[in-house]
Amino acid sequence: MSDTAVAAKPRPTQRKPQQRRTWLGLDRDGLMLAVPALIPVVLFSLYPLLRGIYLGFTDAQAGRAATTEFTGFENYSQLLGDSYFWESFRIGLIWAFGVTILQFFASLGLALLLNQKLRLRWLARTLALVPWAMPPVVIGIMWRLVYHPNAGILNSVLRDLGIIDSNVEWLSSLSLALPAVIVVGVWSGMPQTTVVLLAGLQSVSEELKEAAAVDGAGPLQRFRNVTWPALRPIVTAMTTLDFIWNFNSFSLVYVLTEGGPGGSTRLPMLFAYEEAFRYGNYGYAAALGNAMVLVIGVFVVFYLRRRYREEG
Amino acid sequence: MRRATIVSAAVLSAGLVLAGCGSGDDAGTGDSGDDGPVTLTFQSLAFQPESIAANQQIIEQWNADNPDIQVEYLQGDWASVQDQLVTAFEGGTAPDLIHYESSYLQDFADRGWILDITDLVPDEMNDDILDGAWEAVTFDDAVYAVPFLLDAQVIFANKALLDAAGIPVPAPDDPWTWDEFAEISKQLTDADTYGVAWTLKDPANRMLNLALNFGGGFFEESDGASTAVFGDAEKEAFQRIHDQLYVDKTAATDAIGMGGSDPLPAFFAGQYAMLPKGIWFRQQIIDQAPEDFEWVTIPALEGDSQAQAAAPQTISIAAESEHPEEAMAFLEYMLNPENQALLAKGDWMIPASEAAAQDPVLTETPDWAVAAASGEFLEQAPFQRVRGYEEWKNKVANPSIEEYFANSISLDELGTRLTEDGNEILERYNR
Amino acid sequence: MRGSSRVLATPSKYLALAVYLVFLAFPLLWLISTAFKSPQEMALIEPTIIPEHPTLDNFRLAFEQQPLARALLNTLIIAGVSALVTVLLSIPAAYVMARYRSVVSRMTALWVLLSQMFPFILVIIPLFLLLRDAGLYDTQIGLIIVYVVWSMPFALWMLRSYVVGIPVELEEAAAMDGAGKLRTLKDIVAPLLVPGVVAAALFAFVSAWNEFLFALVLLRTPELQTISLTLVKFIGAEGVARLGPLAAAALVATIPSLVFFAIIQRRLVGGMLGGAVKS
Repeated sequence: MSDTAVAAKPRPTQRKPQQRRTWLGLDRDGLMLAVPALIPVVLFSLYPLLRGIYLGFTDAQAGRAATTEFTGFENYSQLLGDSYFWESFRIGLIWAFGVTILQFFASLGLALLLNQKLRLRWLARTLALVPWAMPPVVIGIMWRLVYHPNAGILNSVLRDLGIIDSNVEWLSSLSLALPAVIVVGVWSGMPQTTVVLLAGLQSVSEELKEAAAVDGAGPLQRFRNVTWPALRPIVTAMTTLDFIWNFNSFSLVYVLTEGGPGGSTRLPMLFAYEEAFRYGNYGYAAALGNAMVLVIGVFVVFYLRRRYREEG
Repeated sequence: MRRATIVSAAVLSAGLVLAGCGSGDDAGTGDSGDDGPVTLTFQSLAFQPESIAANQQIIEQWNADNPDIQVEYLQGDWASVQDQLVTAFEGGTAPDLIHYESSYLQDFADRGWILDITDLVPDEMNDDILDGAWEAVTFDDAVYAVPFLLDAQVIFANKALLDAAGIPVPAPDDPWTWDEFAEISKQLTDADTYGVAWTLKDPANRMLNLALNFGGGFFEESDGASTAVFGDAEKEAFQRIHDQLYVDKTAATDAIGMGGSDPLPAFFAGQYAMLPKGIWFRQQIIDQAPEDFEWVTIPALEGDSQAQAAAPQTISIAAESEHPEEAMAFLEYMLNPENQALLAKGDWMIPASEAAAQDPVLTETPDWAVAAASGEFLEQAPFQRVRGYEEWKNKVANPSIEEYFANSISLDELGTRLTEDGNEILERYNR
Repeated sequence: MRGSSRVLATPSKYLALAVYLVFLAFPLLWLISTAFKSPQEMALIEPTIIPEHPTLDNFRLAFEQQPLARALLNTLIIAGVSALVTVLLSIPAAYVMARYRSVVSRMTALWVLLSQMFPFILVIIPLFLLLRDAGLYDTQIGLIIVYVVWSMPFALWMLRSYVVGIPVELEEAAAMDGAGKLRTLKDIVAPLLVPGVVAAALFAFVSAWNEFLFALVLLRTPELQTISLTLVKFIGAEGVARLGPLAAAALVATIPSLVFFAIIQRRLVGGMLGGAVKS
């Protein structure tokens, strides 16, 4: 589910309304066509979302006799004083920034390579898409096997190369677990980013590049003056969305570490999930979700402003 | 034509909702209705193949003998059971019979999810099962589960390495003290071998257990509300293990993040001489050891005492179950001494039934004497009846204990977190 | 790395490509290797990359120890029905989005954007409560509804761009012949949408096949569970993972989505970029 949101502009092919409009700019036929899709969306997506936001202002709890009361900002004052919450947001930001940025550079490098006529390019292209198709649970399991202290290949290779003496506990070391899961995040997200960048590169006009070359611009300058400006709108959109998805990420880290060791990979979503479905604190978990929306909101505003400016 | 399309679109939407009502027939709390046989669902957490087989064998036998009360086996798993049960109870689809562990039952009882079975437990069962085990499932004078399997912390050792160092295997009635253990760990440590490998992933349960050796209880109760404490008694076991890791350097630091069977390759290869684990771990060793590997079970260590928590695995009946009597009838059969022996053997654990502990099925297993001896020192521990224990353990205790053993926080800082951060959590439950 | 086009000599480009290949491929190779190893070989201190005594035992064990076949079938049904319903609902709606200048179209476009951004936790607690009250908790239907709703944004997005690509004159001609809009959609537009529909359906299928969090919360009964849930169960108690069968099961679970993904890969990439590149 990638980049669905990049552009939503009316197209010139849109038909001029011929029939009498009835509701919201739709005639009867239009309504009939849209309603079957709208009902489930409103019922199972919009309504739950609104109710979720509301729950964040209540003391909703699991339990047979539990009652729910509106408690205003009580959850939030509790959140402010909850060191585990702050820690989890700190980790979430490191993870989201780390994955997004590393993924961007790794993908840009790969896209630049793939944009050239190299042998084995097809292999890299194919392989680069595989993580996209894999269930996150499988990716998690696969990397657990790679990182496994005894039976894992990573330690074995590093030992053979003389880089380490004894086995490293990648996923259970307080200092290494977060970097280790970030690497997995980068691996699993590279396909989308690479594909988008590659398409962007391919849309850069060859003539402009050649003209720049004729003017004596070196490759670096050509990249900066021709390629990058053409790429930039895509990059902004992509990294913003990547960041948001990464900040909301759950499955991969759940399978890899379940938030451990020592809570060092407890992303906000893992924290919220545990609150809701392990300890039964629905209200508190929803409040956490609302706090996540705030962070995400900042990025959406940032993105929209950039987009607005770029479009003039 | 057009009409047809509209109708079909509407039907499709509505159909989704309607179809749902008819499905899920084999989920949930069994069939209602008076005529047909009653179906009970039983969610088991057995995971070792032998134990799953024992469970299924017992159920098959029951089903054959009791056409009116059929039991359906559901496979749960320890890793996700808490979340699964919370959502199942909330979603109204909890199994009738629920396998879990006593430490978590207080919360479930408070939330009204599991049944008070005080009046359902038959006398015979009442007498057969150890008092200490019953205590662990009794909250405010009400019994919420039948206890059946007990674990104890013991030590597995590489026999060849012990022999080479001239160290005799202690008898169950004459266990090593912690001091002796530290000394022996030193003797066993050399350039290639660590004396001991403490695997300390999710260490809270285990540390709370071992701390009892020195009288560390971790919680104080007053007016039904628990508060976490951390004094000298609690510190002792922590300090000793920490010393082995960072002072004596007789414990492998690369093992502290390990869980489950992770340390086995190094144990089999002689890199770790001793492996402290739960008694159930015998099965893992037997399963995976190379043929020529000789190992032995060392009895639980002794501090001020050998005391460890009796935190039995349990089976509860869901409050929403429509057939509590039938469920109890099945439990009476499933947990009779003969079957408990089978189950205990399947999981390589200690049965809560006194009669089962005498069963040759068990007494003939390797190093049974060591396991049996644990029955003597398992006792009721304070953490068993703490409201909010799961959250305290998971959010505060496991992470901070892991950090302590990774040498990234001090023992005092650990204490501060367990008590101050911990009590903030407990407060919510005590309201 | 930047501007590498002609700065780096070809050998260094190949070196860079080789590094990427290793990074991308190695985890996969290791998964495959582990799936074919015996427990004894797994317990070796020096792991082998190519199994010395390759065995299919792990696959047998995987199917024996966990209801893997059942989970595969469940996932196939859930993902298949989700995909089908998603496109059936999306085709008309995408048509409306493309052809009407309506508030609904704009709202839907906004929703496509927003639905990608909200943290799942806000949705999943109420969904859980909602499905419970509707008697749909712990049913495959409940999960299917959720999957339909959550793959619809992307399906709408893809299909809309396909509709836009169909010349409106075709429809106008049909309208002049007296065909109603619904009939036009069915007779004229739908046939031209087939490639888009296939792509959207396969995409919805793969999304549902791979999904984990909703399934984790919304399904409980083992017989109903999807493949991702079954795989997580393999990881098991106290981290006692039987690595061989785990790897084997993981491998099996990947195959369907890999195959389908390979089929739609080009279209997906194209559809995804249709908007992005031009904007």
